[in-house]
Amino acid sequence: MASIKLQHVAKHFGTKVAISDVDLDVNDGEFLVLLGPSGCGKSTLLRMLAGLETVSSGEIHLNDRRVDQLPPSARDMAFVFQSYALYPHMSVRRNIAFPLIMRQFKWWFHIPLIGGWAKRRIERSPEVADLVEKTARTLSLTEMLDRYPRTLSGGQRQRVALGRAMVRQPEVFLMDEPLSNLDAKLRTAMRAEITRLHQRVGGTFVYVTHDQVEAMTMGTRIALMRDGVVQQFGTPREIYTSPANTYVARFIGTPPMNLIEGRVEGGMIKLGEASLPMPHGLAAAAHAAGEPILLGIRPNALTLGAAGAPGQLAGQVSLAGQVSLVEHVGAESVVAVKLSHASTAHDEEGAVPGEIMITTQGYSDLEPGDQVSVVADLSEAVLFSRATGERLRAGLALAA
Amino acid sequence: MTNPSSHAIRIALILILLSLATFPIYWMVVTSLTSSANLFADTPQMLPDPAQSFNYADTFKHTGVLVWLKNSAIVAIGTMVLSILLAILPAYALSRFKFRGKGGLGFVLFATQMLPEAMLVVPLYAIFTNLALLNTLGGLILANTAFTVPVITWILKGAIDGVPLEIEEAARVDGCSRLGIVLQVVVPVVAPTLAAASVIAFFHGWNEYVFAQTLVSSQELRTASVGLASFVGELSTPIHTVMAIGVMYTLPAVLFYLMVQRYVVAGMTAGSVKG
Repeated sequence: MASIKLQHVAKHFGTKVAISDVDLDVNDGEFLVLLGPSGCGKSTLLRMLAGLETVSSGEIHLNDRRVDQLPPSARDMAFVFQSYALYPHMSVRRNIAFPLIMRQFKWWFHIPLIGGWAKRRIERSPEVADLVEKTARTLSLTEMLDRYPRTLSGGQRQRVALGRAMVRQPEVFLMDEPLSNLDAKLRTAMRAEITRLHQRVGGTFVYVTHDQVEAMTMGTRIALMRDGVVQQFGTPREIYTSPANTYVARFIGTPPMNLIEGRVEGGMIKLGEASLPMPHGLAAAAHAAGEPILLGIRPNALTLGAAGAPGQLAGQVSLAGQVSLVEHVGAESVVAVKLSHASTAHDEEGAVPGEIMITTQGYSDLEPGDQVSVVADLSEAVLFSRATGERLRAGLALAA
Repeated sequence: MTNPSSHAIRIALILILLSLATFPIYWMVVTSLTSSANLFADTPQMLPDPAQSFNYADTFKHTGVLVWLKNSAIVAIGTMVLSILLAILPAYALSRFKFRGKGGLGFVLFATQMLPEAMLVVPLYAIFTNLALLNTLGGLILANTAFTVPVITWILKGAIDGVPLEIEEAARVDGCSRLGIVLQVVVPVVAPTLAAASVIAFFHGWNEYVFAQTLVSSQELRTASVGLASFVGELSTPIHTVMAIGVMYTLPAVLFYLMVQRYVVAGMTAGSVKG
């Protein structure tokens, strides 16, 4: 049973702030995913949990025990590295048994020959051998126990790394982008394997990735990070449907959420020349009257119709535009449309894409240059302040 | 397709270079099996004469070659073991730790390689006299080790630089102490380089002459290099005996090299490719 609590955890490298005041509560048995782009501090945070990096300030608790001052081996956490970090000079069996051998290690094990004999003896003892065999069976590694890591494929090496973590039966599993060195097909298979492992073994998992698909499919909760700050901490569904700010909205979803510039006027959302009735769910944001806002709407909440098609159904509105790009992705097509009377938000690089993305089922016959009307279903739309990028919620005033 | 004529030229070049390298060894073997009457004949004997193999029996009987070889082996193996033991930890520290004066220390280690042995003989002699290390094989091992440790430290540092840090971190998480990481993980991973470094230290100890000649005077503690040189006299030099001892002096070194050769080759290419 292990819950993790991070209180005001920060990390500085000289004057550079890598992690800034992170507070997280991870319940026992949870699968927490630390998600974010490269350099956002997610791996640093994981390494601080493991004890591989010191904590500049704040506290880390495992259950009721404060662990941030303890060495890595005393934290009862196992770590799976991106590069597998297997011991190349040891067989798979010895790699998996190594943490168990270390538990019984005596100083004289350093003496050549005598140490080798003692380590072999521990490895062959029934309790260690049984545990190693059982772990190998779970991960389908039984046939490879006497092989060396260099003779294994990437997926097999990753399973050995998982085995080395599992055999310790730790309270917490920490995983640092363990699938990013694998090819796409193997990654999908291993993703399912790790999820099953979590269900079977139990324990608390903290998993670092920059891949939102991994995060959405594996995590029970996600902490999305940027520049050392947690942007949002919630379930995958919360993060997808109710992004806390435009950064989260853009990060999650492929293609990402469309952000269309507009303003709230007289209880209506005004996008360019079009006026949309404020949906019931967004009524709380009516206080933002007159202020510039961004309407966040997922590509799958938009549908395409022929130009000039009647659009104003209940809770829906149509916007005129021109198709600029069509991408066919098997079961669905992604259509980029340049809106005629409304503009979209600047992206992270400061460029104005000026387009919205729409996903349609099947193979779309549209071609670039076609005039279309875009019908928006606002039932799951969200509003953001254009000034701060924060989501508008009930009772929250816009920043001046 | 390779042009046949350029292929032939290549083969010829290889054969010439090979002959240049092996002929002195062949000549040594032939001379060791030549009668003393034929040593200075007008037409040199190009093939070994097996009937002269008693040269070797005579050499064993009338010289202390076995004792010299034993002493050389003690000095070479002692130098090798001590050098490796003393070099591993500094190499690890230079590779992994950040500390004040690290660059300076590295330079000083290199600088010791610029000093010729002959320059250090007199101060070493004075120090060894005070420490009662003169005329001991232990003293000789120490003197040789002082010369091999810096170079081995640098070789091992290069190899440890190539060991991924994650492996050490994995060992830390698995419960290894720092010393445990060095001995259980890093040393086995850099074993090929360790073998290469051992060869360097062994041959330094095996071949060394200046210290062995100066710091050891007792007949029983002579090393083979000094023993061999003792035959070169002002009036006469029994060349066939010198060559017989030369063969005996070379053989153990060749055997040692053959034993570790597999690792040396791997060590010299370790880290050169991403793997």
